[in-house]
Amino acid sequence: MVEKVLTLKKMHVITVAWAQDINTVGAVNRSVDDGLVSAILIGKSGEIKKICGKKGIDHTKFRIIDIEDEAEAAAEAVRFAKSGEADIVMKGLVGTDKFLKAVMEKESGLMIPGAVLSYVCAVEIPTYHKLLFITDPAVIPFPDLDQKVAMANYAVEMASKFGIEKSRMALIGASEKPSRHFQYSVDYPEMCRMAERGLIKNCIMDGPLDLFLACDKESVEIKGVNTPVGGDADILLFPSLESCNPFYKSLMLFAQGELAGLIRGTEKPVIVMSRSESEKSKYYCIALACLMT
Amino acid sequence: MVLKTLADLKNIVAGGQKKKLVLATAQDQHSLSAVVRAWKDNIIEPILIGDKEGIQNICAANNYDISGLRIVHEPGIEMAVEMAVKMVSNKEGDILMKGKVGTSTLLKCVLNKEWGLRTGNLLSHFALFEVDTYPKVIAVTDVAMNIAPNLRDKIAIINNSVNCLIRLGYTMPKVAVLGAVEMVNENMEATLDAALLSKMNQRDQIKNCIIDGPLAFDNAVSLESARRKGIKSEIAGDTDLLLMPDIEVGNVLYKSLVFFAKAKVASVILGARVPIVLTSRSDSEQAKYDSILLSAAASK
Repeated sequence: MVEKVLTLKKMHVITVAWAQDINTVGAVNRSVDDGLVSAILIGKSGEIKKICGKKGIDHTKFRIIDIEDEAEAAAEAVRFAKSGEADIVMKGLVGTDKFLKAVMEKESGLMIPGAVLSYVCAVEIPTYHKLLFITDPAVIPFPDLDQKVAMANYAVEMASKFGIEKSRMALIGASEKPSRHFQYSVDYPEMCRMAERGLIKNCIMDGPLDLFLACDKESVEIKGVNTPVGGDADILLFPSLESCNPFYKSLMLFAQGELAGLIRGTEKPVIVMSRSESEKSKYYCIALACLMT
Repeated sequence: MVLKTLADLKNIVAGGQKKKLVLATAQDQHSLSAVVRAWKDNIIEPILIGDKEGIQNICAANNYDISGLRIVHEPGIEMAVEMAVKMVSNKEGDILMKGKVGTSTLLKCVLNKEWGLRTGNLLSHFALFEVDTYPKVIAVTDVAMNIAPNLRDKIAIINNSVNCLIRLGYTMPKVAVLGAVEMVNENMEATLDAALLSKMNQRDQIKNCIIDGPLAFDNAVSLESARRKGIKSEIAGDTDLLLMPDIEVGNVLYKSLVFFAKAKVASVILGARVPIVLTSRSDSEQAKYDSILLSAAASK
């Protein structure tokens, strides 16, 4: 993923809200050293410098802006992107709700009018033969049809940046048999129809499919299910945040996965990473944001 | 005691009275292979019910030596299931296992009011996972049986699972109620239920375990993640049992662990008079064997 970005040869400016977080500072530092970005760190400057000291990082390579209040720091980071001084906004130690509030603020925020705010991740898993794009593990609890269509389009767009012209998309359910009992996936057949009719472009879509049928060719053979995704999915679209969130966390913790994710629906890429995410994952996010800019 | 690996289940079974496993409609290569192996390993005493010729043909074709095994001939699928359930009901069997029959047919017999295996409890699915990256076995429920359990169902599912863990040697197992977030959020019912379950546990309305929730997956299984988020929980990173909000979440997690994390898995249906082994075609040979092992260890 990172190699892909390094070929872009274009430096972006990233601004970090409430930046006094060790993994975030580490990730930003690596991105600066790799020539991906230049950085504006916003937050308690004393603490930011202390973290730099602890990690042996020269803090003068960053522009540091001292702000003592969490919400204020988030607003300031968004302001930089809004004014064009920054290309990417990243969440540091600030709570996700406070951060997103600043992003979604009507006048000063970064929302594209009428757009659906959602989250797409690229995941690298040693036990899967390629990158897997998943949505939405973080923003929309129970997406309706319109939101699912937006999620699908965002995922296709991200996959295309990695050179996938026609992505295979599995709409994930507990079973491949459509059933009204699965209330969050009743609109899957309609979505497939929309993809067939070109309302969702550049993808081969099928669902519901369970995870095995989406990602495991052998399971498709054993079960004899006729699916164009064929156990070779590029994109997994989940029926709810509730199912997508533990899925990606299980990949991170139990399957040595590495992930990069971005908020979509904003004027500029917005990075929201859980505070508990590793430095490496945060670094990947910055690279991904550069790719999507 | 906690289980480090699924193989530890063997220590529970060893030395005790060998459990009788009744295989309903045994003319099924997938289940027969695991049953024969478990029998050879002295884990169970199988009783095969089904089409005798079919059973013998499969065994001959696969070189299973079943001399000395009890076979009850009943060619009719539904009749064979009924006979198997009645046998267990009459205490002639300790474990029921599904062979070449649909799950719904088997469950219909299990739930028969006159001669079935009802206890008044909800039936629920219980799975044990062994993952290299977690220091002990982790139990997950319910990933396959109850589609959208309500609060009362969740209590029953916890009770089934905790009783099973206690029979496996656990004392006060740690139960994490999974949410997408660790905060109570009024838009996500699972987090509201989780808070209620935790409080009911504190008040001793749900006993013999320590319940905390909502916990996101990472807080439940990683102390480091919980610490970084400043979550105080006595079970964070030390979870024995993960309660799923619904089947859509459970099914994905189960398959993620098996496919991406290469977990070993054993599973059993709880809540009937005896453990029921319901494996599917897509389960590996090892998973079927481990499920038999689990049911033998969980059997009273």
